[in-house]
Amino acid sequence: MTDVRIPEADPFDAAADEQDGRLAGPPAAAPGGLGLAGWLRWAWRQLTSMRVALVLLFLLAVGSVPGSILPQQGTDAAGVQQYYAAHPALAPWLSRLGLFNVFGAPWFAAIYLLLFASLVGCVVPRTFRLVGSARALPPRAPRHLTRLPHSAEYSVALGPQDAVRVAGQVLAGHGFRLRGPADGGGSPDAAEPWVSAEKGYLREVGNLLFHLALLGVLVSVALGGLFGYKADRLLVQGSTFADTASDLDEFYPGRLVSAADLGPFTITLDSFEASYITSGSQRGQPSSFDAQVSYTAHPGGPVRSDQLEVNRPLSVDGAKVYLIGHGYAPEFRVTDGRGQVVYNGPTPFISGSSGNFLSEGVVKVPDAQPEQLGFTGIFVPTAVDVDGTLQSAFPAADNPVVSLIAYAGNLGENSGPAQSVYQLDTAGMHQLTANPQVLQVGQSLKLPNGQGTLTFTGYVPWVSLAITHDPGQIPALICGIAALGGLLLSFMMRRRRVFVRARAESGGGSTVRVGGLARTDASGGFEAEFASLADELRSVHRAAAAGGQADPEPDPQSEAEHRQHEGK
Amino acid sequence: MFRGKRRAVVLVAAACTGALLAVVLLAGWASGGNSGVSYLDGNTNAVLYATGHRPLAPDFTASTLTGSRLSLSSYRGRIVVLNFWGSWCVPCRAEAPTLAAVSGQYQRTGVAFLGVDVRDTTASAEAFEHNFGITYPSVSDSSSQITLAFTAVVPVSGTPTTLVIDRTGRIAAAVFGQTTYSELTAMLATVTGKAG
Repeated sequence: MTDVRIPEADPFDAAADEQDGRLAGPPAAAPGGLGLAGWLRWAWRQLTSMRVALVLLFLLAVGSVPGSILPQQGTDAAGVQQYYAAHPALAPWLSRLGLFNVFGAPWFAAIYLLLFASLVGCVVPRTFRLVGSARALPPRAPRHLTRLPHSAEYSVALGPQDAVRVAGQVLAGHGFRLRGPADGGGSPDAAEPWVSAEKGYLREVGNLLFHLALLGVLVSVALGGLFGYKADRLLVQGSTFADTASDLDEFYPGRLVSAADLGPFTITLDSFEASYITSGSQRGQPSSFDAQVSYTAHPGGPVRSDQLEVNRPLSVDGAKVYLIGHGYAPEFRVTDGRGQVVYNGPTPFISGSSGNFLSEGVVKVPDAQPEQLGFTGIFVPTAVDVDGTLQSAFPAADNPVVSLIAYAGNLGENSGPAQSVYQLDTAGMHQLTANPQVLQVGQSLKLPNGQGTLTFTGYVPWVSLAITHDPGQIPALICGIAALGGLLLSFMMRRRRVFVRARAESGGGSTVRVGGLARTDASGGFEAEFASLADELRSVHRAAAAGGQADPEPDPQSEAEHRQHEGK
Repeated sequence: MFRGKRRAVVLVAAACTGALLAVVLLAGWASGGNSGVSYLDGNTNAVLYATGHRPLAPDFTASTLTGSRLSLSSYRGRIVVLNFWGSWCVPCRAEAPTLAAVSGQYQRTGVAFLGVDVRDTTASAEAFEHNFGITYPSVSDSSSQITLAFTAVVPVSGTPTTLVIDRTGRIAAAVFGQTTYSELTAMLATVTGKAG
C-alpha cells in the first residue's frame, strides 16, 4: 500500500511533466480563510493522504485487539455471559462501547469506511495520472546530453538529418517509443536535429494494474461482506439438514443477505469415523477423519455422495461446507410415569477442555408426566476411574459410559425466551438422584417415586459443519494475483530514455551525441544496455556512411574511437 | 489549468465513492420494499397477502407422526392452517394451547389444521401432541425438504411459523414467530371472508 504512491513532487518526472503543462501538487496546507468548498477540499486531501491512511490502518489494527481479547457476541455468546457474571460493573460499559461486538460496532465501521474512502480517494486519481503517464510521449531531448548519467559521442560521415533518422530507426527497432521535433511542437532544428526515445512503459502498465487490482480487492471484500454468509450446523449421523435460516444453528448473514438468498441444498451425514493413534507419544491424537455425506444441490435434484475431510470442504451451490469438529451423541430412551415413551433419540454432547472427548450435555424431556424431566451429564468414550472420578483415557469409544444427574419439575420451556439446548435451567426443578448415576450401554436408570425410566441405548457420532458463502473470494484472489503481478512488473521494468542529437560539422559529416538515463536502476542493468546501444548506433551509422544509405545492421566488433562518459 | 485538473480528479473520486454508497443504500432499501402485503395491527411478523399477491404453497407428500402418508394437495378446496413447530421450541410450546383451541373451534367450518414437525424425534413429538391435546395431524420434516420448499416462497426464518393457505392453495397470511389467539382468528376471518 505504502510504497506505491508516487510522491507529489517527482524529481525525475519534473521535466516531462513540465512539458505536459502539469506540475507537482502543492503541499496540503491548512486553508486559511477559505470557504466551505475549500475546507471540504482540504479535508478530502487530508483523508486521502498517505499519513491519514496509515493512521487509519493502525487504528484498524488497534481496534480489532479487543475483538481477540474479549469474548465476542457472535462467536462466543456464552463467553460474554460469563464475562458479565464475572465483571458485573465493567461489562455493561464495555457493552455500551461495543467491545463485545467489535466488528459490528459503529466506531469500527467508521474506521474501515474512512480507510476505504481514503484508499479509493488515493487510488482513483492515481489511476488517472498513471493512464496519462503511460500514454505520454518521451520528453524533448535535453540540450547538453553529456551531462546525463550515460553519454557517448562520436563523429560520422553522415548529414545530421540522416544520422538522426538512422538512430531513430535503430531505437524503434529496439522497441523504443520515439519523439522528434515534429511530435512535440518544437520547431525543426535544421542545424541540430534530435530524437528522444523511451522504453519501459510496461512499468506504468504494471503500476496501473496494481492500482486497479487494489480497487478490485476492496470491492471484492465489500462484495463478500454484503452478499456472503457464514453458518454453523451440528449434524448427527443419520440426520439431514437444509441450508435455510431456520435449520441452521448459527447464521451470520452479510448486510444484503436475506434468508431467501441461501442455497437450497440439503446434506445428510451417512457416517462418520475418526481414527486415533493407539500407541507411542502421539497416542490419542487423531490420525484421520472420514465423514461420508450425501447431498442434493436443490430440492428434487440428484443425490450425490462425497467425503468430507478436514481442509477438504464440499462445494455445493456456491457455498463451501467445512468439517470443523466432531463429537458423540449418546442415545437415550425415556419413559415417563404413565409408561409413555416421551424421548427417544440421540442427544449431542459437547466435549470440553478435559480432553479425550469427555463430553457434557443435557437431556430435556418437557412432555413427561407427571413432571417435566431433565438430566445433566457427561459422556465418557473410554471410561477409567481415577481416585473416584470418571476420566476418559482415549478419544475412541472403547468403554463408553454416561454419568447423569436427574431432575424433575419445571424446565421453564413452556414460556419465556428460547433456551440453549446445551444448558439446563434447574431453578424450577428438584434433584431426583443424590449422586451422578453411571450407566453403560443398555443400562437403565429408574427414577424414584415412579417418575419413569431412562435407558442409555447407544451412541452415534456427530460432526459440526461450517458453511461459508463468499462471492468475493474468487474476485479477491484474481485481483490479488493481478496486484502482485502488477507490482512485480512495476519493480522489474525500468523507464529508460535515450536521446540522440547530431550537429553538422564544418568539414562535412556530423558529431553524434547519445545520452541516456534510467529512472530507477537498482539492478544496474542500464549501463550495459546503454553501452551496447551506443555501440550499435555507432556501427550502424558507420555502415550507413560507408554504404551511402541507412542499413541498420549492427556490427558489435567495430572498434572506432569513441568516448563514453560516466556520471557527470 | 493544474487546479482545474486536480479539482476534476477530486470530483470524480468523490462521485465514485458517493455512487458506491448510493448503490449500497438503495440496494438495502429496495430489498425491504414489497407490494400486496399488509400487516395485522402494524405487526411486521403478522402478514396478510392481498388476493393476486398470494404465493403458491409448494405441495409436499410426507409421513405423519403416526406413519401414514399425507399430501398438502389433498386439502385443495379447503383453508389450511399450516404450523411449523418442534417439541424443543419454547415459543411453539407457548402457542400450542392457542392452536389446540382454535383448531377445535374451526373444526366445523371446514378449516383444516396441519403441523410440520421440524428437527424432532417421533417420541418427543407425539408426547408433545398428547400433552397439549393437539388432535390434528403433523408430518415429520426430518429431511427439511418442506421447510426448504416454503422458504423459497415466504421468509420462514424458524419455528414457529404459521401459514394460512386459501382454498386455491395459495398462502394468504403468515405469522413469523409465536402466534396469538386474536391474530389467528383475525387472519382466519379475513381468509374465510367472514370478517367482522
